[in-house]
Amino acid sequence: MKENSTRSGIKLAPVYGPSDANGDYAKHFGDPGEYPFTRGTRSYSGQGWIQRELSGEGDARRSNEQFKYLMGLGQTGLDVIGDSPTMSLMDPDHPLAKYTVGTQGVSLCRHEDYRELLDDIPLDQMSISSSGPSMFTVASLYLLAKERGVSPGSLRGSVIEWPFYSEHCSYAYKMPFDLHLRMSCDVIEFCSKEMPRYHGFLEDTYFFSEAGLNAVEEASLGFVEIRHIVRTLLERGLDIDSFAPRIAILTNCSMDFYEEIAKIRAMRRIFARMMKEEFGAKDPRSQAVNIAVHTSGLSLTTEQPANNIVRGAVQTVALGLAGVSALEISTFDEGYRTPSKEAHLVGLRTQQVIDLETNINSVQDPFGGSWFMESLTDEVEAKILDMVNDIESRGDPAELVSSGYFKQFFHGTMGRYHHQVHDGEVVKVGMNVHQMPADQDTLLRDISEEKIEPLFDRVANIKAYREGRDQQRLLDTFQRLHDVVQTDENMLTAVLECTKAGATMGEVAGILRQAWGTPYDPYGYLESPLGGDR
Amino acid sequence: MSAIRVLVGVLGMDQHEVGAVGIAKMLRDEGMEVIYTGCFNTPQTIMQAAVEEDADVIGISAHSWEYLYYAPELLDLLRQNDLDIPVIIGGSVITAEDGAKMLDMGVAAVFGSGSVVTDMIDTVRNLVASDATS
Repeated sequence: MKENSTRSGIKLAPVYGPSDANGDYAKHFGDPGEYPFTRGTRSYSGQGWIQRELSGEGDARRSNEQFKYLMGLGQTGLDVIGDSPTMSLMDPDHPLAKYTVGTQGVSLCRHEDYRELLDDIPLDQMSISSSGPSMFTVASLYLLAKERGVSPGSLRGSVIEWPFYSEHCSYAYKMPFDLHLRMSCDVIEFCSKEMPRYHGFLEDTYFFSEAGLNAVEEASLGFVEIRHIVRTLLERGLDIDSFAPRIAILTNCSMDFYEEIAKIRAMRRIFARMMKEEFGAKDPRSQAVNIAVHTSGLSLTTEQPANNIVRGAVQTVALGLAGVSALEISTFDEGYRTPSKEAHLVGLRTQQVIDLETNINSVQDPFGGSWFMESLTDEVEAKILDMVNDIESRGDPAELVSSGYFKQFFHGTMGRYHHQVHDGEVVKVGMNVHQMPADQDTLLRDISEEKIEPLFDRVANIKAYREGRDQQRLLDTFQRLHDVVQTDENMLTAVLECTKAGATMGEVAGILRQAWGTPYDPYGYLESPLGGDR
Repeated sequence: MSAIRVLVGVLGMDQHEVGAVGIAKMLRDEGMEVIYTGCFNTPQTIMQAAVEEDADVIGISAHSWEYLYYAPELLDLLRQNDLDIPVIIGGSVITAEDGAKMLDMGVAAVFGSGSVVTDMIDTVRNLVASDATS
């Protein structure tokens, strides 16, 4: 008989019984809303999750129209992604950016862009989740709220912190690790004081797990990063309960249905115990972590794109059963592009059908007490804790980043995933089984293959914009930022001044690098406005 | 006979390396020498590395539409410098139509996401063999 196992290698028995599930209920599970939050972070609300789809394309104006379209369809939160240059702290007029401006997300590089991006969006009512460089996102959101007479304290949403893994997985900042970590910690500290409802620390395990990681590896690397950032913040003298309530996690969801549910349950429990037992958090909100999910793009195929709709629906059901605070479905055209209008509609309607037609939110943690699910949750939890310990036993996690340990790790998982798909170990209907000749594989193909043209105009516009600014004021704010980097002061205050003076993100990032003793432009094309080493 | 030398790289701001790393590993497993140049390349840096490393074949992995602009630039650059190094492009974003355009333009072979590994390996071997006899 064939032996079945999860993607993380946990063996699955054909049937489970009372001897498989252990543990004292109050200590190990707890009711939803009670420590250790295995069964959910809140007591029953029946509200379900925030429904949103990944958005952002072209310039800020076009993306704003996309938001309004999605809100018109009933979307209840925003999820914004920058294009590749934006995500990598690069302005659109950088020579390396020219063919990709606005094609895989929205191009954002100055405060004006954020004004247009969020035009007519009620900042105090809409949860805004940003996958963009946190320091610049927060600076602009904060300024925008002030400009509009909205209290920054009423802003909701999240921004990603990824000092450990962004360099190796799609979103390189080309910055020394210590600088990136300081930027993250400055943002988290600033948000905890100025924007207390906003999650200034979203641990994003999604993007790096798309390097072919399994559920255990994904969660383990996430906890290694969370733990290190928390320790760093505590070393600054912050109280754990001042920032921990606003730590959230964005995870992936592959097609391994049961294991993904177990992963989320296990992560809630691990987080709760880590905060309470290791870090001494007293506020229950510090121990209860909100988990949002982006369903796996890697699980989708360019072959037979309609199959991806089914994958998104199955993943959404899993997440509904696990209990999550927000979710985005990777849409059917994911293999080629960020979501088209049609894909947005299908993604959002999929969430709505599952939410409204199935009673899925009527019962919280419906798998709770299942011999199988409790056993799997325990096994996933044990494997995550083992792996976190194993990684930390190899040395200071910060040094592991700098020495390339994680880079090597990701290269290993990328190669492994490639093999698994080609060998059929990871089954993908339409790709490695039940294939179809290309001339018959036409359903939704035309929509999926439609391209987004690069914004060549924006390159020229940004060049012209640079000339029209008060150059002396800019230089003064750059010099001030350069000086602040040498102190222990929170850099965000100086970044706010640069932003107000009309600085671009690329310029500010360059000044930060330069102040840290590294090249202003890591790619070697641009000169620093402050002069000095390139 | 010395091992076939394949340069594998990604162009522009495309930072999705899963395919590039996977292919590099498979080519190595087949006994080829892989020069992996990673991300943030331009046609110029690819050409330079190919010359310096004496590559027999250039393999570009594409998970962004940037390749549509960079591939013709790379081909032109190789021609201008009288370099007869075949260029292969692989990646899931390459549609059948765009793949055909690439072949017309002078790209030696194109592979989409569902391509069979043995086909890719055979193609690399054949390209190098025909190059040696021509």
